[in-house]
Amino acid sequence: MKTLVCLKQILDPEIPPRDFTINRDSRQAVQGSANLVTNIFCENALESALQLRERSEGEIAALAFGPASAEDSLRKALALKADEACLVEDDSTAYRNSATTALVLAAAIKKLGEFDIIMVGREAGDWGAGQTGGLLAERLGLPCVTFVDHIEASGDGVTLRRQTELGWEKVEVKLPLVVTISNHEENVPRIPKTRDIMMSARKPVTNWKLSDIDLTDEDLKTTGDALDVIDLFIPEKKTDCEFIEGDSLDDKIDEFAKRLAGIVQSA
Amino acid sequence: MKNIVVCLMPGAQFDKSTAGLLASARGLKGQLTVIVTGTAEDDTTASLANQADAVIVAEAVGLNEYQPELVLGVLQTVCSDLNPDIVLMAGDTYSQELTPRLAGRLGGVSAGDAQSLTLENDNLRITRSVYGGKAMAVVELRSTPAVVWVRARSFAPAAPRDSSGSIEKRTVELSGDAAKHVDATKIVERHEESSGTVRLEDAMVIVAGGRGLGGSEPFEELKSLAETMNAQQAASRAACDAGWVPPHWQVGQTGKKVAPELYVAIAISGASQHLMGIADAKVVTAINTDSDAPIFKHCQFGLVEDYKAVVGPLTERLKALLS
Amino acid sequence: MTLLAALNAADATREVMWNISHSWVMYVLLVPTMLIAGYGVYKQVQKWRSGQPAARFDRPAERIMRVINHVLLQQATLRDRFAGVFHFMLFWGMITLTIATTVVLIQHDFGIEIMKGRFYLYFQSLFVDVLGVLAMLGVAVLAVRRWVLRPKKLVYTDESTWLLVLLFVIMGTGYLLEGWRIAVTNDPWGIWSPAGIIVSKASLAVAGVGTLKTLHLFTWWFHLVIVFGLIAWAPYTKLLHVLTAPLNIYTADLDHGGGTLKQIDFESAQSFGINSLEQFTWKDLLDLDACTECGRCTSVCPANTVGKQLSPRDIILDMQGLLDRSDLASLTGKADGQQPDEYDPAFPIIGATDNLSSDALFECTTCAACVEICPVSIEQLPKIVDMRRFQVMEQAEFPQQMQDAISSLEERGHPFKGTQLSRVDWAAGMDVPLIEDVEAPEVLLWVGCGGALVDRNQKSTRALANLLKKANVNFAILGREETCTGDPARRIGNEFLFETLATQNIETLKTHNIKNVLTSCPHCFNTFRNEYPKLGGNFEVMHHTTYLARLIGEGHLKLDAQATEKIAFHDPCYLGRHNGITDAPRKLLKEVSQQPLVEMEKHGRQSFCCGGGGGMSFVDEPADQRVNQERAKQALATDADTVAVGCPFCTTMMEDGINAVKGDREMAVKDVAEVMWEALEGK
Repeated sequence: MKTLVCLKQILDPEIPPRDFTINRDSRQAVQGSANLVTNIFCENALESALQLRERSEGEIAALAFGPASAEDSLRKALALKADEACLVEDDSTAYRNSATTALVLAAAIKKLGEFDIIMVGREAGDWGAGQTGGLLAERLGLPCVTFVDHIEASGDGVTLRRQTELGWEKVEVKLPLVVTISNHEENVPRIPKTRDIMMSARKPVTNWKLSDIDLTDEDLKTTGDALDVIDLFIPEKKTDCEFIEGDSLDDKIDEFAKRLAGIVQSA
Repeated sequence: MKNIVVCLMPGAQFDKSTAGLLASARGLKGQLTVIVTGTAEDDTTASLANQADAVIVAEAVGLNEYQPELVLGVLQTVCSDLNPDIVLMAGDTYSQELTPRLAGRLGGVSAGDAQSLTLENDNLRITRSVYGGKAMAVVELRSTPAVVWVRARSFAPAAPRDSSGSIEKRTVELSGDAAKHVDATKIVERHEESSGTVRLEDAMVIVAGGRGLGGSEPFEELKSLAETMNAQQAASRAACDAGWVPPHWQVGQTGKKVAPELYVAIAISGASQHLMGIADAKVVTAINTDSDAPIFKHCQFGLVEDYKAVVGPLTERLKALLS
Repeated sequence: MTLLAALNAADATREVMWNISHSWVMYVLLVPTMLIAGYGVYKQVQKWRSGQPAARFDRPAERIMRVINHVLLQQATLRDRFAGVFHFMLFWGMITLTIATTVVLIQHDFGIEIMKGRFYLYFQSLFVDVLGVLAMLGVAVLAVRRWVLRPKKLVYTDESTWLLVLLFVIMGTGYLLEGWRIAVTNDPWGIWSPAGIIVSKASLAVAGVGTLKTLHLFTWWFHLVIVFGLIAWAPYTKLLHVLTAPLNIYTADLDHGGGTLKQIDFESAQSFGINSLEQFTWKDLLDLDACTECGRCTSVCPANTVGKQLSPRDIILDMQGLLDRSDLASLTGKADGQQPDEYDPAFPIIGATDNLSSDALFECTTCAACVEICPVSIEQLPKIVDMRRFQVMEQAEFPQQMQDAISSLEERGHPFKGTQLSRVDWAAGMDVPLIEDVEAPEVLLWVGCGGALVDRNQKSTRALANLLKKANVNFAILGREETCTGDPARRIGNEFLFETLATQNIETLKTHNIKNVLTSCPHCFNTFRNEYPKLGGNFEVMHHTTYLARLIGEGHLKLDAQATEKIAFHDPCYLGRHNGITDAPRKLLKEVSQQPLVEMEKHGRQSFCCGGGGGMSFVDEPADQRVNQERAKQALATDADTVAVGCPFCTTMMEDGINAVKGDREMAVKDVAEVMWEALEGK
């Protein structure tokens, strides 16, 4: 089975609130001293791919679209024994919406070859749009299942488990298709072995410019203009929590219980 | 005057989510059509008709339950006829799944998790929470149709309109593009492991536990507290990732976005990712040993105590108060 | 004859080999005895020599002092009073008896007449006689301990039983021989052998001279056979420690109390970390054979104390088992046939037995209590970390929460995944100078991840900064430029990450031209002090307790207020045990409190870990096996109102532990700096 995993490098979502600032002119977050990391759901996707390969063999390719730094995400995938890695390097620092990302990824995938399963994270920890998977499926003309957390090869097809609001569903699918991967205790990303990290530095990463996949800045402008960020701001936080006081723990619990009961009764 | 279409998934009812979704659509000036996929109860269609100009009940073989490629094909077919400017969907799994794909099929643009909708310069603008709740973005969709799923439950239901809209049943035959892949995927089993009978998104009261609980056993204790308040149980990502509770209990940026009247956070420190899921809760309160925990910044009131000493007596007290 | 006359008797002596003919048989027997014993020693020496190199013969003067202290004076052994005293008696008794035998040898085989006169009377008779009795008493009491008292820490084997029996029989028959010789020969100097004379008198009361002479002859040969048997067998038993212990003590790690972790050359290393005996150094292998099975390490191990699998004693003994292939029955955890039949240098040791399981290895808090207590300088801790390294770097299989900490260290330079705090949040509204705003700061306040990124510790860090400001210290912080020193990465076993972080930090500090570093975290302190110099980072580093004590001593800080609470000090492992700093914090607390300082039973270098070292503070321990709660109970056993600590990890571990088990009792946990600042502020 040939699997392609799309990896997005994002600003560390764990950046402490006090360190998080935005540039209102460019309408993007400021990196400051924070690191860039691989989006967690993309790591879940890579983990799912690795587990699938352990169960039923095959190859894994990793693909990223982003600035040169996104190579780090691919190196980590190589350290985890992805078979190949490809970066479509973005020379611009402009915000790229899901439509643009899907356009670029689809063009790169077509050039990379045929894949049985194309995995993307369900959403990214920065913009959290959750659109890329579905848009990519449409660009590639493939079916798609979202919020998948387990993949099992069965016969000539594949059985997926995916999360819903109330539980989960089993989905039988024919290949090829696009899946978006959600997190589950089963696909918590593994960490690479030190030797593999060292080795990964020496492995090749295919580096393509947009022109290598027959896209122009104009193409990206079209998809970019279709959905634009008008404003980005940090909402003000309210800070007026009233702490329940009391002479004893019992008093406090009493007071707390009364407040809760009041709300529950009026709800 | 925009041509607005609201799409409902098979099995949809006139619940808080649907009402909120329609309210969000009615906030925009336009001709409002609701597409109901699959069969619907008469009173549901009637309620829908009270909110819209037209209701189309789209029927097709196998459409009584959700199958992604089939529902997508049906929506594509019906929407193509309606030629909408804006297509709105709710925040359930299925709607989230189909939003970008329908946009792709209709040649439009898509977005998710809209918390407010406005029309500016003839375009749809939405606000949505980004960067794990640390920032808000205003996004403009400039291509048609703009396909958006909205955080439906956070919109207050709107009153019925003066006159009821039309109701039409339409049998859809899939062909061409819309028919492809219909056999490629098939949901063969559906499991509901609800923490209660009500969806978290619809819950009026939620009792949530976090990393500080340290294991799955304390969630049992919280269960009796939740039952006392007729509440649903939920958890932070840390608790779900640790496998203490099932993944669908997760509230936060990557879990459920809830809008209860009361949200009780127990041993949850309040990472912004979690806070993002409770932004629409009316009253947030917390029990935590650390008065500096970020969760308290979002609480109307809070209790700085160890939950271990509180939950038992609190449950007893509430039982007496609520009986 | 009077005693006085005897004192001056120059002709006092006795006949050696009295009553013995065919003594050549002895020499014939000696040959196989020495061959068997020699082979036993040779075999082990060969195994040690197959280990990796280690430089352990430098600084001979220090090493000789160690041998004097811990071999001749038995200082470390005597820390366990009961067993120590009796071992001391046995030790010196056996030494004396060996010397006495050598004297006989010199007299008999070399024909040098030294066994006479005062030397004969004072030493060869009286002293040897008394010391021998003490040795026998030692053996007897140790036997009672083993068979009656049965402390949990010992290993109960037939071998141990036989060794005690044989020693007792050898010495017992020795006294019979002496007594009967005195009786038969009517030795005029017999009074100089008190035990001998008693045996003599008692024997004469029940048997005639002829009988005794015959008994003597048979017993002499019996005695000889037992002695030779024991000599031949000794190298194959734990009695080998007679040789290995002094050698091990001589070649001990002088730098870090046995806690020095090895450096890895990542360019050339075949394996990152260790999973087979051949990958250890010869000293590591010598350690295995130096073990006397005394079990002290396991008895002080915090993880073992709370009921976890980890047992440093059994880690050493199981590896010894794999090295010697002698006592396989004691090795559990793998089915028969899965362990090699004979010594296999390449056999994978991790998981070879339950005690060597990965789970057990990752229960270690790296507190080094095992290393500290070991009477023969065995280095258990570095071996545990060596094996952790293999699991972390070669296998990438170790506890998930430690993985999270490691990933966080890689991605954001601190191990506290999910923290909402930034490096400078604690200083909000305090006007703490950043390094870029200060021309040439006297000291750099190295805040540490624990001090900056954990809500609870912000208060301690603020207290320290306030004290520094009060004392007009010209200091600065690195702010967002600071990253973890690498300590948790190193202790968890990711040496690669440690080196990366360390190199980066050394570079940063050099860029800012920093000479003096002040830190409130003993883990940071230890890394700066003992580990950065090996990577080219030489900074003058002080723990805040030492520094504050100095500020007070020099009059820069005046404690004009007095705390009224009763305070006990919990020694952080990386301050007390790893770095020997136990006085400075106590000096501060005595200065600040009106009440006398309270001591917990385990304190100073013998302190008990809070449970937070070695990456364990990132791990959720099973509810009934929490080290911090065990330590909390020890704290609650005192009448202190406050436990003062000097480590951000200890602060949170102790506070959580005490809150969990305190019941109605009130007990606060505060950093020493907090205690001082509160006292100054008059709280």
